[in-house]
Amino acid sequence: MGECKVLLEHAGNPKYTSLEGYLSLGGYAGLNKALGMEKQAVIDEVKTSGLRGRGGAGFPTWIKWNGLPKERRGPQYVLCNADEGEPGTFKDKQLLEQCPFLLVEGMTIAGYATNSDKGYIYIRAEFLDGARAVRAAIDQAYAKGYLGKNIRGSGFDFDLYIHMGAGSYECGEETALMSSLMGERGMPRLKFPHAPLPVVSGIWDSPTVINNVETYSCAPFIISRGGEWYASMGATTKNSRGTKIFSVCGHVNKPGNYEIEFGTTLKELLELAGGIKGGALKFCVPGGSSVPMINADSVNQAVIGYEEMSEVKSMVGSGGCMFFNEHTCVVTYIWRTAVFYANESCGKCTPCREGTKWLVQILERILAGGGKEGDAELLKDVASQIDGRSFCPLGDAAAWPPLAALRVFPEEFDYFIKHGKSMVQSDAQLVMAP
Amino acid sequence: MSDVIQIGSPTDRPRAPRVEDLTLKFSDAAVAELEELKTHYPDLKSCILPTLWIAQREYEGFLSGEAIAEVAHRLNRAFAEVEGVATFYTMYNTAHKPGKHKLELCTCLSCHVCGTYRIRDLIKQKLGIGHGETTPDGMFTMEEVECLNACDRAPVMQVGDSYYGPMDEAGLDALLEKLRKTPESTVIQMADAIVKAQIPAGAK
Repeated sequence: MGECKVLLEHAGNPKYTSLEGYLSLGGYAGLNKALGMEKQAVIDEVKTSGLRGRGGAGFPTWIKWNGLPKERRGPQYVLCNADEGEPGTFKDKQLLEQCPFLLVEGMTIAGYATNSDKGYIYIRAEFLDGARAVRAAIDQAYAKGYLGKNIRGSGFDFDLYIHMGAGSYECGEETALMSSLMGERGMPRLKFPHAPLPVVSGIWDSPTVINNVETYSCAPFIISRGGEWYASMGATTKNSRGTKIFSVCGHVNKPGNYEIEFGTTLKELLELAGGIKGGALKFCVPGGSSVPMINADSVNQAVIGYEEMSEVKSMVGSGGCMFFNEHTCVVTYIWRTAVFYANESCGKCTPCREGTKWLVQILERILAGGGKEGDAELLKDVASQIDGRSFCPLGDAAAWPPLAALRVFPEEFDYFIKHGKSMVQSDAQLVMAP
Repeated sequence: MSDVIQIGSPTDRPRAPRVEDLTLKFSDAAVAELEELKTHYPDLKSCILPTLWIAQREYEGFLSGEAIAEVAHRLNRAFAEVEGVATFYTMYNTAHKPGKHKLELCTCLSCHVCGTYRIRDLIKQKLGIGHGETTPDGMFTMEEVECLNACDRAPVMQVGDSYYGPMDEAGLDALLEKLRKTPESTVIQMADAIVKAQIPAGAK
């Protein structure tokens, strides 16, 4: 299977970033149709589509939308997570820059369906081109009555605001993002079942639906073309429907975003990106830095789908698919991921705050040639004690890469510990050392 | 983790300046922007992040103790609360005053395997600065940052509101030359762009 462009069909077309151009290319058909439907019917359409959260967790979108109170007792909010920070992912960046109206329309549909009257888009501060494109889209939508009071004469009011972050990977986690929106340090909060879900008590203690940019951007198509049409894509998989944008990068010839149907194989995705460069394929991290790595054999077997990926012991994640060639040292790679999580840990939970630093210290000692017998077990021990012991998944995300690497490439760690140097000799290696 | 972030001397960051000692520096335009932002949220606390961006622009790229005190004063929050927020986020310049242009080099996974440390070494060679350091003429500050999410352009660098990549030596030379000729500070220009993105077109 090749590319299957739904969201990215008009990406890159300059007309798509202006309201006239967007309308001429079929834009706002979804909202116009939704406004003539019952609110519950809109949610049912999303249920039929089988849409699942595209930010990484894969939670069914309709359950979130359905969870908000139908009778509004106070403010209700629609919140968009545009704090894309997962290393290897750059799909939201393209959607914000080139398809801003999809997000605006999708959030308006979500606002209508969930009985909300205000929406916030939390954009990471680095994405200024994206923020400017969304700003222009919102301003044009207000001017033509697609946002604001009494949208298209339906009696539905909806306001949309942009909130810029300030540099924190942690704020991509939903409870931390809500803290950050409310003017606090971006630290996570206790979650269900220990605390209410965001749909019960989210921002400013009000019911909040929070989704990723890509998830909202699917909504206009689901409503205008029907949930069954959307569900017909990816029907060969167990429980993944529609399309997913993968950001393919690393050692590939044509890095970029590729939108594919679920059920496509990982090998086909690699071929779409022009294949591996600089040597044979060694390993792949298919869903952003947090998900477990898989070796070349597993890449040849893997079918892309939320359940299917677990058969090769990995995940779809946020879709940041990184391929690495045979000249990549796994130990150095794992050191770099550990540094990332140590730098980005917010410091709230002790296992994550301390454990990520310990992982870095052990790996730096190994890289400097001071590896000791038992270091592999020590890494495993520290990582497995972070896993599942923090408020948010950053701790898990920090633990999975080393655990997977020790499972897939144990010989490489053993060699480095024993000989004080990498099994892989290449020029890049010298540059990559700390 | 080998590099330690450089922290300014204690005298750079006076403790909570008293309100009566403050010289408020927000311009009329900045105050108008703040008034607009206040209408976006149900409480003043939520305005802390956007107001810090305004302050970063008004105080020429550096959130000094006075800058934080002014934000706290205008939002009726405690100094410690605003300072705690400001120091959490990496893009607020609270540790030391950055140079006119901040070179934010991504050193995360994709950029790492695509040779970003070569670019880091080139910057060290050409400008003599490493992570967290500023050139003596105050022109450039260099920072190694985590994923900028433009991995298709690895190794990528952000300066002001723009991304540059894939970087190589020729690209770096051309960029440094261009920045030397840019009269405005890209640090201030970036803060301005971030504030403007949050203000609707029709706002006063």
